[in-house]
Amino acid sequence: MTLAIETRQLRKEYRGRAVVESLDLEVGRGEVFGFLGPNGAGKSTTVKMLLGLVRPTSGEVRVLGGSVNEERVRRKLGFLPEQFRFHTWMSGEEFLTFHGRLAGLSARALRDRVPEALNLVGLGGRGRDELRSYSKGMLQRVGLAQAIIHTPELVFLDEPTSALDPLGRVEVRNIIHSLKDSGVTVFLNSHLLSEVEQTCDRVAFVNQGRVLRAGRMEELLGPPRSLDLRVDALKPELLSKLRKLGKVTASGEGRARLALTAGVDPASVAEVVVGSGARLQELTPHRPDLEDLFVELIELGGDR
Amino acid sequence: MRNVLLVAELALREAVRRRLVLALLGLTVIFLGFYLYGVHLLQVRLAERAADIGLDRPLRSATFSYAFATLFGLYLVNFLGGLMAVLSSVGAVSGEVESGTIQSIAYKPVSRSQIVAGKWLGFAVVTVSYVVVLATGLLVGVRLITGFLPPDPVPAVALMALSVLVLLTLTILGGTFFTTLANGIGVFLLYGLGFAGGILSSVGAATDTPLLVRLGSVASYVMPSDSLWKGASYFLQPRTLIDLQRLREDADGGGNPFVGTTPPDPTFLVWTGAYVLVTLALALLIFRRRDL
Repeated sequence: MTLAIETRQLRKEYRGRAVVESLDLEVGRGEVFGFLGPNGAGKSTTVKMLLGLVRPTSGEVRVLGGSVNEERVRRKLGFLPEQFRFHTWMSGEEFLTFHGRLAGLSARALRDRVPEALNLVGLGGRGRDELRSYSKGMLQRVGLAQAIIHTPELVFLDEPTSALDPLGRVEVRNIIHSLKDSGVTVFLNSHLLSEVEQTCDRVAFVNQGRVLRAGRMEELLGPPRSLDLRVDALKPELLSKLRKLGKVTASGEGRARLALTAGVDPASVAEVVVGSGARLQELTPHRPDLEDLFVELIELGGDR
Repeated sequence: MRNVLLVAELALREAVRRRLVLALLGLTVIFLGFYLYGVHLLQVRLAERAADIGLDRPLRSATFSYAFATLFGLYLVNFLGGLMAVLSSVGAVSGEVESGTIQSIAYKPVSRSQIVAGKWLGFAVVTVSYVVVLATGLLVGVRLITGFLPPDPVPAVALMALSVLVLLTLTILGGTFFTTLANGIGVFLLYGLGFAGGILSSVGAATDTPLLVRLGSVASYVMPSDSLWKGASYFLQPRTLIDLQRLREDADGGGNPFVGTTPPDPTFLVWTGAYVLVTLALALLIFRRRDL
């Protein structure tokens, strides 16, 4: 895997107190990577170190194969800060033109990119309005446009959907997917775990500046742990066979929840049902979601 | 350099769009109108007095009155320029750090030094232009009303502009490590120190107290703004007025603590130039290392 981000024992202290203790992180190129952790876990400080906004106390950081202090690397970065503040006297177009020029775009490129970026974030037609007249959600959208106007290779999004309504969240999710499709690496910092679950290829849970667990979504969440099933008739012989696979809680009208014994293949449940002569009408697997894993990891204090 | 100009352009456009320039122009017109009306009244009164004794124009001594009117008008311009330099730029760096606006700029391929240099340049253009426009307006107005023009207005205005640059650069430096409020208070205290140094120096000369004179001299090196004004005021006075003041200084040791009777020392000017450059360089260095 070619790495977009690599940190080794990254540490940041403020007045002797470690905010990030010793962070080892790898993010592959083209990945959508979720960076999760409770408030005060050191996520924003980590993002700032990766962007060169904060100087690490010790440790190593490599971004896009080089140092974040190199101009050629910075040219390829995009960033939407968590609490994005603007020069609100600018219009949307002026704002994007300024940030595009800072990122090194030519006047000719800007003529195309500014309306494209505004359209992409759903602000087409509002580019001439001053930012002070934008709603919170619109500001977040124009902030996102600022992060991608120069077609970066690595984009950091810190809580990109926090001010958006459900429609806006879907749009941002689509933008992230389209970034991924065009080979852009996305580093997503979000508290909305359902968003992360739908968007990210890999995630890392951090607390106190250490990675508690990291991996692909399916590896972290594991196989389904329980199943909801519905059959035409839940006869005693079927119930007895199901109990060999796990704990059964019947709820009447042919419905039951089966908490699988460790190591049992969920597919074998369908075989047992069909083999017993019952008609299988519904079989819904339930795997733990990121929220369950998040709570578990934080409550365990990171012990595996 | 391209990035420096881009950030400077942002500062300039912000000054225009946030109506800072408009407010300044409005206040300038009010100030000039008010002050020049006063000069006009003075000229009318002096002409009336001359007519009372049968002359068709004011006495030659009226030139001193016009010179003092110009001198104190420009003293106010110098003070307003300093005020403007500090107030307009006090949040230029620290305000953007506090609000977080700097984050979306500083991660781009623009160095921290370029950000600070660009801001300094933008505000330098605004504040120096302000002093030049205001001073020129006053000088032209007085000339049109009374016919009086100071002997060397160009070096005088240049020294006033340098004084404004000193204050601006100190404010930018303070913004790289202080909060906006602490920075504003700090620079005004330094400004006050320079002013107090000038007074102490005059009192020291009047009372023949070398220690006071030395204290004043040290203060002028720590904060050159007051000495720069005194240098500027030298170029604004007619030769005879300077001679008269020197006679008075020689007689009782006391002089006017608000004006100078000697040209600025070249060493002091070199010191002030270096002061601005070193202060700016420090601002660039400190901001490069600051966590945002």
